[in-house]
Amino acid sequence: MRFPRFFGKKRGHRRTGSQAWASLGDAAFHAALLTAGIVFAGLLLSGVAVPEWRINQHFLPTDCTVLGKGLARRTTVADRGGSSTWQPCLRVRYDVAGRTMESWSTPSRSTTTSDRARAVAALSAWKLGDTVPGWYDPSAPATVVLQRGYNWWMWLLTLLLPGALVSFGGMGLARAIRRWGRSEERCAVPSRFSDILDPLAAGPRQAADHPGVPACEDLVNSPGTVLAYRLPIESPENWTLLGFGLFALLWNSVLAVLGVGAVIDLLKGKIDWLLLTLLVPFAAVGIAGLVLFIRRVLLTTAVGPTQLEISAQPLQPGGTYEVLLAQGGSGMLESLRLCLALEEQATFTQGTDTRTDRITVWARDIRTWGDLQLTPGARFEARESFTIPPDAMHSFASEHNAVRWSIAVHGQPAGWPGFVRTFPLVVFPAEPAAEQGDPRREAVP
Amino acid sequence: MSTGAETFRPSPRVTVIFSHSDRHYEPLDPLEVRYEADGLEDEPPRAVEHSVLWFTEGKGEEDLGVHFFERLVAPERLPPTAPMGQFSCRLPRSPLSYEGVVVKIRWCVRIRFFFESGRDYVSEHEFAVGQLPPAHPLTANL
Repeated sequence: MRFPRFFGKKRGHRRTGSQAWASLGDAAFHAALLTAGIVFAGLLLSGVAVPEWRINQHFLPTDCTVLGKGLARRTTVADRGGSSTWQPCLRVRYDVAGRTMESWSTPSRSTTTSDRARAVAALSAWKLGDTVPGWYDPSAPATVVLQRGYNWWMWLLTLLLPGALVSFGGMGLARAIRRWGRSEERCAVPSRFSDILDPLAAGPRQAADHPGVPACEDLVNSPGTVLAYRLPIESPENWTLLGFGLFALLWNSVLAVLGVGAVIDLLKGKIDWLLLTLLVPFAAVGIAGLVLFIRRVLLTTAVGPTQLEISAQPLQPGGTYEVLLAQGGSGMLESLRLCLALEEQATFTQGTDTRTDRITVWARDIRTWGDLQLTPGARFEARESFTIPPDAMHSFASEHNAVRWSIAVHGQPAGWPGFVRTFPLVVFPAEPAAEQGDPRREAVP
Repeated sequence: MSTGAETFRPSPRVTVIFSHSDRHYEPLDPLEVRYEADGLEDEPPRAVEHSVLWFTEGKGEEDLGVHFFERLVAPERLPPTAPMGQFSCRLPRSPLSYEGVVVKIRWCVRIRFFFESGRDYVSEHEFAVGQLPPAHPLTANL
């Protein structure tokens, strides 16, 4: 019996770890999640869901006469004394198959309060001698309830939290068991369970018959007005704008809550110096965030929309294609540049962070325009052509790595910061020689 | 056929013969591999796996795509009873071998032996698909 190694080794550029221990750890982690989910689900089902379901499905209706009123007190023991909650409850008399029963019951679970006076006041809703509807347990007639119905939040909690733990843990455990003792290659062989057990590892969608090449369905579902397809824009500016907006919103919301609290204190004649001192830098950051967001909105909206249409998609190395650039907006553009680029993208983990490194490895200007005067209602349009180099790398996308072709529009408005709008392309590999009638493949032994 | 002897560890020793002497293939080419494993007399393998795959190298996490895979467990097909092994497949259209700056794509054949003791030994032999020139950082292009 030989135990697997705990520690891996770094061999050149490859890291060899202990596959067995990694699988064992993975399995143990997911088994713990699955167990927690099952236990949690069991507790919620037995403590909440099943009793509530029994009340609604099995309990029999009866008329209850109110004989007495009282408060049920629940005390929690804490470090400093403890706290109590109060709930109105009624002593009721009801009939069970000709037999008269008496029992205490709570009329409503929502009336629990920590304020005793409020609970006492709530008791006035019932008068002694009143008749209220009730439901008793046929298997334990002393148990009677004065309210039925489902607590949907509790059911949602019962299904969601344990459900998430059970499904995540179960899938992870099944994946770990499936991988146990298997080689890296055998695990990587696609199977019908791969996507179910490891949906995140599936990577980007791939083109049919072209492994590793991203699918281009999303790039050809929008027809152009002049050329075949209108390319979708992939603008990092929009994400920046969204980021600035979310930050400004969240920060200023917190600031508003703190500010309202401080103002209320001031109106009551109470000055919380610590809160006021904290509010000053908080307000400065909030205002700065708001200014940056408004500036970004102005920058984004000041430059009109950019559209790009292309004559074909997907592209092939050596092919020549036409593009139609349309730039809307108003004002002067000092320069507008259309550029074809190839970018490599690598995603890696550094400590606990996941980082993505991008590097442009090839770029060519298609056309540059200078001093363009844009007028509202009449967009600038230009039709150009470009060629993908015959020995170019095709588009590639896997889970952590990508080689991406794109056309970028670089604009420099007068008096405003420049902008870049990117339109992704998909370049397929050149068709193999045999499909072009090359006899070379016929001679392969 | 060419013989490219590659010794990865003192034992076992795996000698691989590719159907193209220069180990260069084009997409959709048939790939034929023959191999001979020595040094397995003391501990015969209980299974052998043959795979043809691409993997990424570079700055990013390694990704892997298996194009061909087979696992042999029948004793008569395993060394030392069968000292020579072979397998073949037709290569796909993509991805092509690529020598990028932060992303590299390599194709290889892996022969993995599983022993009774639980350990395994893998022998990896690279080959190229397509003839793409290496990429360089952008400053070198302009």
